[in-house]
Amino acid sequence: MTATTTATSSRKLTIARAMAEATAQEMRQDPSVFVMGEDVGPMGGVFGNTRGLHEEFGGERVRDTPISETAFIGAAVGAASDGMRPIVELMFVDFFGVCMDAIYNMMAKNTYFSGGKVNVPMVLMTSTGGGYSDGGQHSQCLYGTFAHLPGMKVVVPSNAYDAKGLMTAAIRDDNPVVFMYHKSLQGMGWLGTEKGATVATPEESYTVEIGKAAVVKEGRDLTLVSLGAGVHHCLRAAKALGEEGFDVEVVDLRSLVPLDRETVRASVAKTGRLIVVDEDYHSYGVSGEIIASVAEHDHACLKAAPRRVAYPDIPIPFTPTMEQWALPNADKIVDAFHQMMSQ
Amino acid sequence: MSTAITVPEDLWEGDNEGVITAWLVDDGSQVNQGDLVAEVMVEKAQYEIEAPSAGRLTIAKQEDEVVEKGTTIASLDG
Repeated sequence: MTATTTATSSRKLTIARAMAEATAQEMRQDPSVFVMGEDVGPMGGVFGNTRGLHEEFGGERVRDTPISETAFIGAAVGAASDGMRPIVELMFVDFFGVCMDAIYNMMAKNTYFSGGKVNVPMVLMTSTGGGYSDGGQHSQCLYGTFAHLPGMKVVVPSNAYDAKGLMTAAIRDDNPVVFMYHKSLQGMGWLGTEKGATVATPEESYTVEIGKAAVVKEGRDLTLVSLGAGVHHCLRAAKALGEEGFDVEVVDLRSLVPLDRETVRASVAKTGRLIVVDEDYHSYGVSGEIIASVAEHDHACLKAAPRRVAYPDIPIPFTPTMEQWALPNADKIVDAFHQMMSQ
Repeated sequence: MSTAITVPEDLWEGDNEGVITAWLVDDGSQVNQGDLVAEVMVEKAQYEIEAPSAGRLTIAKQEDEVVEKGTTIASLDG
């Protein structure tokens, strides 16, 4: 998609502002769109992604809720089933335990069990990821947990351009969409802000198609596949390996459901080498699914056994040095490639 | 004519220092009066800095630099 320039400058947005702008634009043209969640009103969301909405649309359409995800996510499923288009925020994905029945048994399954008579056009937005010492109950990604359960789309943007386009697409989608944004990409300084996520973003409304990955850097020697914050680690690793003479391709999944297996397969068919980078847990998750998608399709294209740089299967430590030790980073990706090439 | 962009004295309460977390326009680009140009973080809150006039932006304080109220962070020529 071509980014059109604004009249005066290549305006950049943080992901938080991109989400708020997409939401405001959809609310202006569709009265059935409304927002619910904890501190999404006058405060603008603890991660900034509803800033300005309460001021423009008022408390009827931007509703602060009591601290009961069970109640307000259940209410959103009901509203969506009855013709509204709620955008509801689960402040930290780690809190899904109390409201999962509304999410995976109602939101995700009502369309199927009504024989297609009931649509549930809602967006469940939720913050993910760590790196800023918030402990293991506030730092998980859990992409794989949601993507594993059929009946809901799952998107994970890595930059503001994709975040705005995916948010617009999610609001317009007649299916439930889980919009998982990484805290370090939001442009909130205290969360360890990743500069690469703040990019030029058009003011006019546009969509990024759900279910399409992006090749964000082309290369011939190695395919790095990642999502969210991991994409930025991959780009740094690609730069470092480029200085060693290796030409690295980076695929940003952008969506987990539907999963764009074709783009991954086409890339690995070209490079023959695959490393998946995932801040979610190592086992039973996205990294294994990506490797299986390639291997079960055509193992003959692989010049080396695929590898993954993922979060170890441990609770996320609070202590900064221990957390940073466990997180994926560019150095670990470079090391994984060196090990791959030495075998 | 050159106009300084300074951190407004009333942007936040108290005399705490802030950090520039993002420049939302590139150095050297043309901006309009009122455009959002930068974000400053103080403790855990984000504050917005708008262009006081139109002009070509020259950044004086980069991302991650510490600023106080009244600090000149850029200038506008035009």
